[in-house]
Parts: sequence; C-alpha cells; structure tokens
Amino acid sequence: MSAARRMNGALLSIEGLRVGFRNASGGVIEAVRGVDFAVAAGEAVGVVGESGSGKSLTMLAVMRLLGAPARTTGGRVMFDGQDLLDVDEARMRAIRGRDIAMVFQDPQSSLNPALTIGRQITDVVRAHRRVSAGEARRIAGESLERVGVREAGKRLDAYPHEFSGGMRQRALIAMAIACRPRLLIADEPTTALDVTVQAQIVDLIAELRRDLGIAVLFISHNLQLVAEIVDRVVVMYGGKVVEDGPVEAIELSPRHPYTGLLQACVPSLTAPVGPLVAIEGAPPRLGRMPQGCPFSPRCPRVVARCELEMPALLTEGERRFACWRPL
Amino acid sequence: MSGPILSLRGVTKSYAQGNAFDRLLGRDTRFVALDGISLEVARGDIVGIVGESGSGKSTLANIAVGLTKPTSGDVLLDGEPLSVLMRDHAGPWRRRVQMAFQDSSSALNPRKTVSRCLTETLALRGVPREQRETEALAMLELVGLGAELAPRLPHELSGGQRQRIGLARALAMKPDILIADEPVSSLDVSLQAQVINLLSRLTRELGLTLLFISHDLALVRTLCSRIIVMCKGEIVEQGACLDVLDRPSHPYTQLLIAAVPKGIAGRRKPTSAPSRGHAQDSVG
Repeated sequence: MSAARRMNGALLSIEGLRVGFRNASGGVIEAVRGVDFAVAAGEAVGVVGESGSGKSLTMLAVMRLLGAPARTTGGRVMFDGQDLLDVDEARMRAIRGRDIAMVFQDPQSSLNPALTIGRQITDVVRAHRRVSAGEARRIAGESLERVGVREAGKRLDAYPHEFSGGMRQRALIAMAIACRPRLLIADEPTTALDVTVQAQIVDLIAELRRDLGIAVLFISHNLQLVAEIVDRVVVMYGGKVVEDGPVEAIELSPRHPYTGLLQACVPSLTAPVGPLVAIEGAPPRLGRMPQGCPFSPRCPRVVARCELEMPALLTEGERRFACWRPL
Repeated sequence: MSGPILSLRGVTKSYAQGNAFDRLLGRDTRFVALDGISLEVARGDIVGIVGESGSGKSTLANIAVGLTKPTSGDVLLDGEPLSVLMRDHAGPWRRRVQMAFQDSSSALNPRKTVSRCLTETLALRGVPREQRETEALAMLELVGLGAELAPRLPHELSGGQRQRIGLARALAMKPDILIADEPVSSLDVSLQAQVINLLSRLTRELGLTLLFISHDLALVRTLCSRIIVMCKGEIVEQGACLDVLDRPSHPYTQLLIAAVPKGIAGRRKPTSAPSRGHAQDSVG
C-alpha cells in the first residue's frame, strides 16, 4: 500500500489519532476520530476543512498543546522514530520550537506585548541552543531579515504594537525558523491579514521551504490558498480525513463530494457570475456526529448506506478517499 | 424617486495624531482617513467597496450609517443632508440605513437571546408588542434560520448563524440601504457562500440598496453590480464591477487582483521568482 510506504519514510506520521473532550457526565466526546496522514521531509502538506473539522485540534495534539478538557485519547504521532505522545514533557519542550515550530492564526495574541520582538526571538533561541546573548541576538536578527523585515537589526528593539499585522506574522515566522526546525506547522497563518499581505506571507512560506528545506503543514479553510504552495492536500471533515492526495489531483478531480463542494464554493475572478455553490447546512456539532459518513447530512450524493456506515479511507494510487459514492 | 438614494459630497474624515508639541507648533499632524470622497449610489444598486485595512472603507461605512461624523463634506439620503436629518429626524435615518457588522460575536449583546435582540429592534420600529414575536420568527426565516434558535444566546450559535442574526436585526428595521462591513470575512468558505447567496436574494426580494464592504474581490465580483476601489482614503477606481475587475486600470486594483488565491493555477514556481509586493508595511 503506497500510503503505508510513504509513512515509513515520513518525517511526521500521524496514526489513528483521536482527541476527545471529557464532558460533565464523565463521558468522552470525540472531536478527532482516527486521523492518519504523513508528511515527508521537506514536503508541504495542506490540511483543509471547515471549523469543527478537527484540523486545529489535530495540530495541537501533535504539538501536545491541547488544554483541558481536550485530550488525546488514542493513536500515535511518530516523529524521528519516536512517538511524541509518549515522550516526557522535558523532551517535548526540547522538540517544540527546535524540531517542530508552529505559527498561529492571530499574530497579535501570539506575541507578548510587553517584550521587544528581539527579546522574544532570542528567548526561543536560548531555550534550545547554548549560545551567548550576543550570538542569540545575531541569530534573531538574521531570522528577522530572512523573513523579509527590513533593517532587521534595528527592528529587534521594536515592540509588537509598532509592527503591522503582516509584520507581526513575519516576526512569528522568524521566531519559528530561528532554530531551523524540520517541520513548520502554520495554522491559518493569514486569516487575520489583508489579501495582499496574505499573498506575501504565502510567498514567504513557500520561499522558506524551498531555501531551508523545512517541511510545512499548512492548515486552512481555503483550498485555493493552500493549493498555491503545497504538494499534497489532506481534507478533513467531522474529525476524520475524508480525502487526501497530490494537490493537482485534488483540485482537478476531487473524488469526495465534500472536496468538490469546498472548491466550488470559493468564487473565482474568472468563472461566470452566478449564485455561489453553497454547502447547505452546517458541520456536525460535537457529540452529535452522524452514525455514518459525517458529511452525509449535507451531501448532495447521499444514499441510505452513507447515513448508516462510515466508509473506509480507501487507497487508489497516490490518493485516498472515504466515500460510498465518490465523484 | 429618480435621484441617487445615497450620495457623498466631498466627505473628509481626519483624526488628530502626533503629540501636543507638534500641535503647539502648528504642525499638520492630522491623519486623513477619508480624503474628499464623492460618490452616488442609485436605488437598488449593489456596490462593492474594496480596499485593505487603512483604505478608509470602514470609515466610509460608518459615516454613511451615521455612526461617525465627517470632518467636512456631506452625506445625503434622497437628496437630504445627513446633518439636517440627524438634527430633526435621526430616527428615520437610522431606520432607513442599517448596518451589519464584521464581527458577529461582538456585534450582538451576549446576554440577550436571539428573540429579545430581534423583538427589541422591532419595538424601535414601532411594531406593536403582540406582533413582535411573530415578526421576529419571520425575520429568522427570512435569513434562513429556524425558530428553534429564538431562545438561544449568541454564544450558543455558530459564526454563520450569528452573522445571519446580525443581518436579521438590520433587516428588521426595514431599511432602504444595508451596509455590510466584511460580513463574511470571519466565516468558513462554505458558510461564506451561503451568506453571499442570502444577501443576493434579499437585495432582490426586498429591493434593498447594498453597500458591501470587503477585501475579497472574488466575492464582490459575484455579488455586486458596481465596485469602488479605495486606497489610503481615496477612491482610486470605480465602475461596473466586471469591467473594473476584468480590465483594471489602476495599479492598486491590479495588485489586489494579483493577490487573490488562485489554486494550482497560482502555484509558486520552485525557482526563485520575485514575490508579490514587499514588506513595506513596516510601521503598525
């Protein structure tokens, strides 16, 4: 099976990951329900899905940053031959920021407003490397320059409020790459930004990946956006992977109806003008997951079986999809 | 009425900035958010106003709805200046021009149920008490929501539902003009399409005039008949939506168009290609 082969050579391999919330009556409500996919060294993978698809929880679980009441209830996260869910907290702290770095959606709340940008980058550097304060500052300046901040040396002494939204996101990316991680997880890194700044940040991530060989996991609800820079796309819905494969295949011939709709509902600047394709209804709510395919209540191709039985994620060449009536 | 339903004449909005020392020396330190904007909106028009943060598009919306007073210039509703209307009939103006906001979680009172939020609005319009409940449910239906949401509080709703409640509240006033400030930018793409289709249907059915403020050119192209492109407080380009987007003449419009994600068609080349724009936005 090609998916299994890919996982063997993977940098990160998520296997059967489950995340649940403990509810008031002591039961567990699952939000991530058995997710598997892998990222090869240097590869860029996009994880796409709506709010509630479990994509962000999956990333937080990988980083072991889930806060109560959410917790990982099953599966493995293999990185470098070790299960991240198994290593002790000290080891995990060493991995976070050094081997795997993460950039979040809101650059405003990810930065400490009371510390200079430089201090925040050097803190990361010194947490992971035995370097002098001067050397850490040099590395911080270099990182800031690397992400396209002009006069980086001077800007190290600026506070977050002196930076625009786009510059703050650049600063966070500088912080993320300061220790040359092998994997960068970017969770909706451009959602809070203007379109032109969004394009610049996407350019920057593509450039860093190319020049530094960093693998990228790009989380977004916008398939058109991730398709611009990733090699493969993983589509999540209702806490499960419903389809994945090479980006061209996903975009040109999606097999899962959800993927097709997700693409069709984003208007383009070239398509004929008319009503937008909307996905009626809303994503399933936690604890109210349909018995069968999570997308069945909204799916235009639904048949009786979809509502009763969750289809398995089948492999077909380089791609996988879970659907009883694929496109 | 044949004239424009809404017109702006030389509307300027500036804010004091800089320190007292600068002001003492008479240095010109005012920040100009809108610089002499003139425009006319015909009844039933769907006008997209696009631009980035700082372009002045939200200031323009706030002025049109009467939340912000222009420093100079005037806003006219059916030929009557806002300055006069606000003094004599603020109520009618507020009823006729309504706004739906970007952030649906902060635009709704977290302690008021959906039903109360709508009935209070209906009361402002003078709907008799005994009809309010029924009409509130009709408003919910209008925006495609079920009656089961009526007793819920905003935090019990999804983002898409909250955004629709914001719309329902604005529409409960039976406005002539609806100003929607980035109404879908916080929503998932699938819900975005639902709300855009809803806006399109409502404008048609209710004969609304819509000012749709957005940074998403593709959405504007889908929804709007006219487009106004703003940059740094000025209108840099305007016209029929498809004309402007298919043949943009201003470099800023071209920049905005280039920034729209294009899927695999917009793939970054593996070779070192010059990136779009630079990090010139260095100061916050």
